[in-house]
Amino acid sequence: MSPMIPILISSLATIIVRLLPYYATWLEKLPPFLAKSLRLLPIAALGPLIFPGVIIDYPGRWWAGLAGIAVASLFAWRKNGMVIPVLLSIVTTWAALAL
Amino acid sequence: MARTLTFKQGFHDGLPIFIGYFPTALAFGLVCRDLGLRAWHAILFSVTNFAGSGQFLAASLMGSGALLAELFISVLLINMRYVFMGAELSRKLDPAIRGWQRPFIAFGTTDEVFSVAVLNGEMLTASYLFGLEGTSYLGWVGGTATGFLIGMILPSLLQLAVGVTLYALFTVLLTQQVRQKGVKALAIAALSGGLHTLLSTRLAVPVGWSFVISMLTATFVGAALIDEEAGL
Repeated sequence: MSPMIPILISSLATIIVRLLPYYATWLEKLPPFLAKSLRLLPIAALGPLIFPGVIIDYPGRWWAGLAGIAVASLFAWRKNGMVIPVLLSIVTTWAALAL
Repeated sequence: MARTLTFKQGFHDGLPIFIGYFPTALAFGLVCRDLGLRAWHAILFSVTNFAGSGQFLAASLMGSGALLAELFISVLLINMRYVFMGAELSRKLDPAIRGWQRPFIAFGTTDEVFSVAVLNGEMLTASYLFGLEGTSYLGWVGGTATGFLIGMILPSLLQLAVGVTLYALFTVLLTQQVRQKGVKALAIAALSGGLHTLLSTRLAVPVGWSFVISMLTATFVGAALIDEEAGL
C-alpha cells in the first residue's frame, strides 16, 4: 500500500474536526454556562498539552524537559515575548540531557 | 475604537510559533525518514495535516502496521479538541470574513494558533489569521522538509532537546495567563494536566479520549467554581 493513503486518511480526520465547528451553527447559540466554559477551554487545554508529554518524551531523564519548561516559565513570568524563553528552554534541556 | 488586527500583527504573533514549530517539524521529518518514507511523503504529510500530535500519532501507527480505520479513529480522537477550539475561535471572527475564507482559517487552526488568537482578546480579522496561520504553516512545512533533508547531521542529543520547544511554548502561554488572571488559571491547567497524566499513563485510556475528557472536566469544574467577577 502506498504511504499516500494513510497520510490522506489522517488528513481527512484532521480536516473533519477542524471544519465541523465552523458549519455547525447550533454552537453559536449556547447557554451561558457553556459560553463561560468555552472561555476557560484554552486554559484547560494547556495542561494536557504539556503533561505528561514533557516527562515521557525523555525516558530515563524525566527532569530534562521539566528543567526546560521551568526556565521558560521563570523568564516569561518576568518579561513578555516568547522567542527568548523558548530558546532558553532548548539550551536548558540540551544541557540537562548532556550532564 | 478597538484596534484592528492586521496581517503584519498576525505575522508578528506567528513568529514565535514558527520558531517553536520548526524544530518540532524537523523532528517529524526525522521520524518519516526512519519509517522509510520519501521526502515528498513527509512534506505531503505536513502540507495536508498541519497537526503535530496527530501526525506523530499517525506516523507511529503507520510504522506499527495499524489498519486504516484504526488510524482514522485515533487521529480523529487526538484531534477532537479542535472541535471545541474551533467553536471558541469561530465566535471571535470578524463578521466581514467571507464564506470561502472560513475553510482556510479552519484548516489552519492548531493548538498554538488557537491559543495565541483567542487569548489575544480582540476580534479576529481574516488578514490577521492568514498572517498568523501562514507563518505557522511555513514553519511546520519548512521544518519537515529541512528535517528530512539535513536531519542526519544534527547530533542526537540536540534532536532530543529541540523536542521541548512545543512544551516551552505552551508553558509560556500558561505563565502569561496566570500572570493576568491569577492562580485559578494555574489550578484549571493543573487539574487538566494531572487528569490527562493519570488517565493516559496509569489507566491506559487512549490518548485522544484522555485529552478530551481531561480538558472538558477541568473546563466544567472551572466554570462551576469560578464566578464571572473573578475576571476569568
